[in-house]
Amino acid sequence: MSEFNSMKKDHKRENDKVIVAGVDVGSVNSKAVILINSEPISFSEIRSQAPKESAVRVINEALGRINLNLEDINYTVATGCGKNEVSFAQKAISEISCAAKGAIKIWGQSVRTVLDAGGESCKVIHCTESGRVVDFLWNDKCASGIGFSFDSLAYLLNKELKEIGKIGSEVDKFPEISDFCVVYARSEAFDLIRDKIPIEKIIAAYHYAMARRMAVLVERLGLKEDFVVIGGMSRNQGIMVWLERILKQKPIEPKIKLDPTFSVAFGAALFADSFYRQSKI
Amino acid sequence: MSKEGVFLGLDVGHINTKCVLMRDKKILYCGKESTLFDPIGSAQKAMDQVLNRFRISKDELSGIIITGIFRELVGQHSIDKIKTVSEYEAVAKGALFLDGNSRIVIDAGGNIIKVIHYDQKGELIDVVENDKCADGLGIFYTSMVNAFGLNEEEASDLALKSKRDISIAIQCVLSAELEARDLISQGIDISDVVSAILKFVAERIYSISTYMPLGDGTVMAGGLARSRALINHISRLMKKELKVLEYPEYVGAIGAVISYEGGK
Repeated sequence: MSEFNSMKKDHKRENDKVIVAGVDVGSVNSKAVILINSEPISFSEIRSQAPKESAVRVINEALGRINLNLEDINYTVATGCGKNEVSFAQKAISEISCAAKGAIKIWGQSVRTVLDAGGESCKVIHCTESGRVVDFLWNDKCASGIGFSFDSLAYLLNKELKEIGKIGSEVDKFPEISDFCVVYARSEAFDLIRDKIPIEKIIAAYHYAMARRMAVLVERLGLKEDFVVIGGMSRNQGIMVWLERILKQKPIEPKIKLDPTFSVAFGAALFADSFYRQSKI
Repeated sequence: MSKEGVFLGLDVGHINTKCVLMRDKKILYCGKESTLFDPIGSAQKAMDQVLNRFRISKDELSGIIITGIFRELVGQHSIDKIKTVSEYEAVAKGALFLDGNSRIVIDAGGNIIKVIHYDQKGELIDVVENDKCADGLGIFYTSMVNAFGLNEEEASDLALKSKRDISIAIQCVLSAELEARDLISQGIDISDVVSAILKFVAERIYSISTYMPLGDGTVMAGGLARSRALINHISRLMKKELKVLEYPEYVGAIGAVISYEGGK
């Protein structure tokens, strides 16, 4: 009997919890973050395919880790380029707003410039201390697919992304390759092989070129401190090291320990949390 | 197996290193290795593999002929008995060997597309290559379909089922990637998007080929030639049935051997 009571109590407590989710359907990867009582509890990341299915798969993976079902979620906000395809979301919010929201929460209110370096696109965002977006810049076409180009480089080298990122950060003398067009950059990387340049230097040259390409975007909008980098490429050691050197910025310490790849999904979840709470007042 | 008159042809390309073993103009073996930015290593590996398999040593070969973009790099590095042949000559000779009526070959590889016009002896008449904006069409195709969780063959089969005619960028490979991803995020079916990607690749290949007097003797080589859907698209643009050579990705390596034996 006591056991039954405690079970009932447990279940009641479960109902009191506010469970919300943010789903970021990106062009290369889809991410989901689940908050319980405003705390990030579960994360998941998968390779994107068709956006509708990717959204369902990534949320179910995140839910599965904490033994919950889609019905348990009180509110979902979708973001990312496939945001309008997420059938189970109550709202779709632009990835720019979510990026600013997430970054302010993770690094604190001093953040003014966010570089969202994703698989297909890079965005630079200026925001206020509350995470409101003041201005932003989307990459031009010639700089699209920088993140994904590393995937294909890794494939051509038959190495892990992490491994080439590390190599890219360790070598500091190499020939320069063009940093305007991503297609040209790869062509020129191939040309270096014929000049008998060692692979490590070619990898570093490519990372440097791509970091410079992104730094140009940041400088075009203007860099106001504090500056943070989010998105999948923030995991790339080579890119991060070179961005830091080119922009002469030391990374600031996050207030919350959270993989910056999930910043946008986390921002979406924070929106979901506040929307749900507003609806209950 | 008698070891007399056995030749080894190597085609060291940007993406793959292809290796063939031939005797008396008969193809004994075809194999390939990923180049992995290491042309010398991959050439060695490809060569060792075939030599082990046929239990024949390098010294017993009558010749090793190297072609492909990295031929000089590999050729300088190694041993005697090695001859190098330009990839244009090799592909022309290979295509003529595989199809005696052919006069123009479209070679669509991983990084470069070239169209080669030759006479009945396989002597070069003219060559065109893609401009820089279309570099890496082959890699682009492979990495895009991999991102959709498919291999090249599955993607080609899927594209054949497409019912919608969608177009993506006309010039730049990067724009094509961006637009293909945009289509996906709009919820367009993957078969239609893959078909649009192949149509883009076909248009790029065709626009390079139009510099040549395309006729009945036009044949297709290179890894991309394995895609049925791509060949359909190009044939439609050419308004002629495009013939695919046997062993399409090995045409260069085969031609390397043929061009060396040419005088005999």
